[in-house]
Amino acid sequence: MELLEYQAKELFRMVGIPILPSQTIKDSRKIKELQIPYPVVLKSQVRSGGRGKAGGVRFVANTIDAIAAARTIFNLSILGEYPEVILAEAHYNTEREFFLAIVLDYNLQCPVLLGSAFGGMNVDSLLTNLQQVVVDEEFSLFYARRLAAHMGLSGKLICSVSEIIAKMYRLFRDKDLDLIEINPLGVNNKGELMALDGKITLNDDALARQPVLEALSFTKQQKQLNDRILTGKILERVRWRWLDWHSRAGKVAIICNSFDSALLTWDLFKQNRVTPAGAVLLETDFSEPDILESYRDNLLDVLTQLETVKGLKTILINVWDTQAIGREIVETVSSYCQQGTSSILASKEESVSTKVRANEPDLVNKQKSSDSTTIARPRFVLRLLADEHPEALPMSETIYLFDGLEAAVQKAIAIVKSN
Amino acid sequence: MNWTSQDKVIVQGITEPQAAFYAQQMKAGSTDIVAGVSPGNGGTEVGDIPVFDLVEQVLTQVDKIDISLIFVDSYQVLDAAREAIAAGIRHIIIFTPEVPPLDTIEIIKYAKASDTLILGPGSHGIVIPQQVCLSKLQSQAYQSGTIGTITTSQYLSYEVATELNQADLGHSIVVSLGNDRIIGSNLPQWLEILDRDPDTKAIVSIGQRITETEEIVTYCQERDYDKPIIVYLAGLKVPQEQIFRDAQTIITNHLSASIPAVNRDRQTIDRLKKAGIKIAKKPSDIPRLIQKAWSK
Repeated sequence: MELLEYQAKELFRMVGIPILPSQTIKDSRKIKELQIPYPVVLKSQVRSGGRGKAGGVRFVANTIDAIAAARTIFNLSILGEYPEVILAEAHYNTEREFFLAIVLDYNLQCPVLLGSAFGGMNVDSLLTNLQQVVVDEEFSLFYARRLAAHMGLSGKLICSVSEIIAKMYRLFRDKDLDLIEINPLGVNNKGELMALDGKITLNDDALARQPVLEALSFTKQQKQLNDRILTGKILERVRWRWLDWHSRAGKVAIICNSFDSALLTWDLFKQNRVTPAGAVLLETDFSEPDILESYRDNLLDVLTQLETVKGLKTILINVWDTQAIGREIVETVSSYCQQGTSSILASKEESVSTKVRANEPDLVNKQKSSDSTTIARPRFVLRLLADEHPEALPMSETIYLFDGLEAAVQKAIAIVKSN
Repeated sequence: MNWTSQDKVIVQGITEPQAAFYAQQMKAGSTDIVAGVSPGNGGTEVGDIPVFDLVEQVLTQVDKIDISLIFVDSYQVLDAAREAIAAGIRHIIIFTPEVPPLDTIEIIKYAKASDTLILGPGSHGIVIPQQVCLSKLQSQAYQSGTIGTITTSQYLSYEVATELNQADLGHSIVVSLGNDRIIGSNLPQWLEILDRDPDTKAIVSIGQRITETEEIVTYCQERDYDKPIIVYLAGLKVPQEQIFRDAQTIITNHLSASIPAVNRDRQTIDRLKKAGIKIAKKPSDIPRLIQKAWSK
């Protein structure tokens, strides 16, 4: 999870990395209560980079200008993101700007220190001068000094910059970070250092053991993300979600019970030059004996969602699971084909279709079109394991059963290509 | 390879629901689970497995422990692995997924210093059909044979097994590496282990992506074996977000999303092909590629 600038700076303050006096503003009218003397910099608090060029950073000399500028910033979306917070900060005169970062390198399996003597907004010169030092043993201050020297620093700056790197490393280690960055680290005419902007990414797998982060006053967006990451770890008994890949022109939808099976199924379609409309992941807990009812509800929930995908001709269900689940799928799909969801769901109206889906793709029409009932229902291709086929199979024109995945995909492709 | 059904096995985190379930499944597959460890639950039993508070207490009851299976919560994995290493256990399988990477790095350091083999985090274990079941996998899905499979995916290994079974090619071993971004033993290491294994006549690697391409290419150029290696990667046609692994690329991408990211999958596959590795486009290609390589 990425922290915003003001949250990163709060962590900087905790370990003694110098930051300017600043204040957060959630409402442009509150700017009258600003404690920082003018001139002030107002900064849009969004995750995406390039906010300076986009107009999300403004210098203001008095309250009237500040109110107007704050209004503008709140109404300015940067790569689709509106700020919930503006950071008002004192102005700082820099002579030079450095770039410092620590990143976890997954190939080397250790943290790496990065630095450039040309920090700031000019990414090209920053990257051309980027230096790196691999921390392959326990961290010690000499690693930081080595980076400072590689960056071409001399004199007192070697020591003062490496002190800052050491403090960044402390945060990196203690807070389980994926990335910590100061850009720019401003240097004034007296050689004093100031972290003018910063970025921090927390490791998602370690979020739950970093309670101190709750003190950072998360934005609504971050709270949602945080909840999603944390609850994702608790294995619900049955749950489903859309995967991020979809195509508006697709005529086949995939339902799978593992991410890898969705990958394989999608590949098989693409290898035959068919792009699916989307893929849904429907997962179960490993060994619960009585999950069938909730499995059925979830499957119907998915089918109801798929009704709103326009132009769908077939739904391929590829589920490698227990016999009981296989049977449940066959029964649910065949009663769905006979009656539709409405009658099956009648008694469960509230429990199902009112849920909000966080990552619903835009191909799902929020409102069902009124003529949806007249559109031909998609046909089903079920891929279940051989010994899971129930004896009395309600075979029909609308449901096809296979035990081999490739044969199932071929059938679905034939349906897509038929008229 | 030195995995046998005589190995003495303990389960750390035996009171976790998953552990209790799979411990019974493994015992049914004739794995000799001598004890479970769960701090605070010493003196109790899970199924008929005696539970101890500490690994070293188990050693007062048995002569030695060969293997530890770790199921503890992800934040306790580092501690559990260190405890196992300290007790002299040299084979550790970490089933718990999503361990904080800084912890895994620490585990790898201790493992290297003590010459311990770590599988995982997030491993599904090891199966040698009809002999060894140290695994969450359904061991009955794999027939006995001569193909060594290294996988990062439980499901894909079943799909491949179905194809191999149909072609009457069974498995000498199935090894699940785990899906975390940093793992203990990796693909190049296991290629080497399976090359040395006399029961393995061909090696199949299954997964989503290969991250140690250069290491594998170097290994293939220097190896003394002519066992065919087949790689199957799933999701190459899926419009997925790229995952960056090295510091420079992570920072470059982070600073400037406008610098186009190069999709390296194609490149990886070309490099592997040049090194003599066969690439399967789908699971059903695998038996054909193996037989073709053998008949040469």
